[in-house]
Amino acid sequence: MKSIALKHFLYETAGIYLFAVRFFKELFKPRFEFNEFLKQCYTVGNTSITLVSVTALIMGLVITIQSQPAMETFGTESWLPSVVSISLVRELVPVITALTCAGKIGSSIGAELGSMKVTEQIDSMEVSGTNPFKYLVVTRVLAATLMLPLLIILGDTISLYGAYIGVNINQNVSFHLFTNQVFAKLDFSDVLPSVIKGLFFGFTIGIISCYKGYHTKNGTEGVGKSANSSVVVSIFAVFMIDLIAAQVANIFHIL
Amino acid sequence: MMEKVSYNKEAIIELINLKKSFGNNRVLNDLNLTVKQGENVVVIGKSGSGKSVLIKCIIGLIKPDSGIVSVFGNDVSKLSHDDLDQMRAKVGFLFQSNALYDSMTIRENLEFPLRRHWLKDTKDTINDLVLDALTNVGLADTIDMKPSELSGGMKKRVALARTLILKPEIILYDEPTSGLDPVTGKEISNLIVEIQKKYNTSSIIISHDLSCAKITSNKIVILIDGTCYATGTFEELNNMSDKKVKQFFD
Repeated sequence: MKSIALKHFLYETAGIYLFAVRFFKELFKPRFEFNEFLKQCYTVGNTSITLVSVTALIMGLVITIQSQPAMETFGTESWLPSVVSISLVRELVPVITALTCAGKIGSSIGAELGSMKVTEQIDSMEVSGTNPFKYLVVTRVLAATLMLPLLIILGDTISLYGAYIGVNINQNVSFHLFTNQVFAKLDFSDVLPSVIKGLFFGFTIGIISCYKGYHTKNGTEGVGKSANSSVVVSIFAVFMIDLIAAQVANIFHIL
Repeated sequence: MMEKVSYNKEAIIELINLKKSFGNNRVLNDLNLTVKQGENVVVIGKSGSGKSVLIKCIIGLIKPDSGIVSVFGNDVSKLSHDDLDQMRAKVGFLFQSNALYDSMTIRENLEFPLRRHWLKDTKDTINDLVLDALTNVGLADTIDMKPSELSGGMKKRVALARTLILKPEIILYDEPTSGLDPVTGKEISNLIVEIQKKYNTSSIIISHDLSCAKITSNKIVILIDGTCYATGTFEELNNMSDKKVKQFFD
């Protein structure tokens, strides 16, 4: 039983790897589906804005409220804006945004491509002279790769505003003083790595979701399974990438 | 350069010793079939007998294990990607599930193959072609609807309009009347005959529906154990005493 699970895991990993290789091969071949790419950017970005914004605001608030008593104990409450902003921008916002998008975008892509597969829409595209991989997969993966960093930047901004509200629940700190304290410690080298991580998160979520949807089997039951496993595998992959990023950060002291 | 492989000069589609297996399951076994210009061939067989695989081999969606699939005299398995696209522009395929794109309107569904194959056409020309195709199937008023707003019969008609929009010389129908009530099924069958007469198309029609076979066929092929077990007109096969043939007509 364990060997079957291991075999399935290795088979899936190899499948996703080959799917990613095919993505890069198709990416530079004409013709480029620019209109569909823009449509997907809108779908991926626009539909996630509200969820990412609300999540980021709550995260900024909660982290600040939770950190405040501990920092008061050590008499370091003046450091609260800097500490909270660094932890939000470097780690929490990229990961939580990626997890939110894995749920929202991953399930949507997995289910959409899955249902297109079982209702022969993908075959129909091929018959119509369209490369379905280029039209459906390349555009969606590119859109997820480019939109996730933008969502992370938006999330960073909103979470910092959440932190400002959090600080003001028990204290009275002006917005000017708060931003001064935040940007005294937070600089470009904190933002850039989170954006780079966002590119990897977006690419991974896009590739995994498209792979799961594109290889859907067994009718409508398979569509549900594809949507579900798109989310589960994407979330797992996000944590793995984050772990690798942390190790790389330790080695190079950059991330 | 496309290599001509046709052995029968009258044939527009020719399948020679076609074999296809999925794992241990041999679906097509030395299948031979010829379709001539302007001929409607109905393929009948049990579920899982490889009827859909047969037409997917013709359009190049499935590669046969061995044998030759010749369409317009070209071996489909040896065509380059561009040549295959050119060939597909002349072959319409009506999917069993209609395969209309859910996220697009009916207009966009019909424009899709046009924009792929006839990129030089103007917006007005494309609009005229779309309207003309929808008028042919009596659904011009659905142009701005989504597929989810249509009934099963209407979806089938729209799918047929999309298949016809590139004015194909060959049309492959995968169970065109499945899931439809007898009246709508008959309407679709009559539409298939009308299209054949109007455009002089050649067709392969996969069907379980005997009334559809009776209305549309010039020739019927019965597929058993992956081969063409019997061939003839509806009347010829209906009068056969062979048990395996008889079971389809009882």
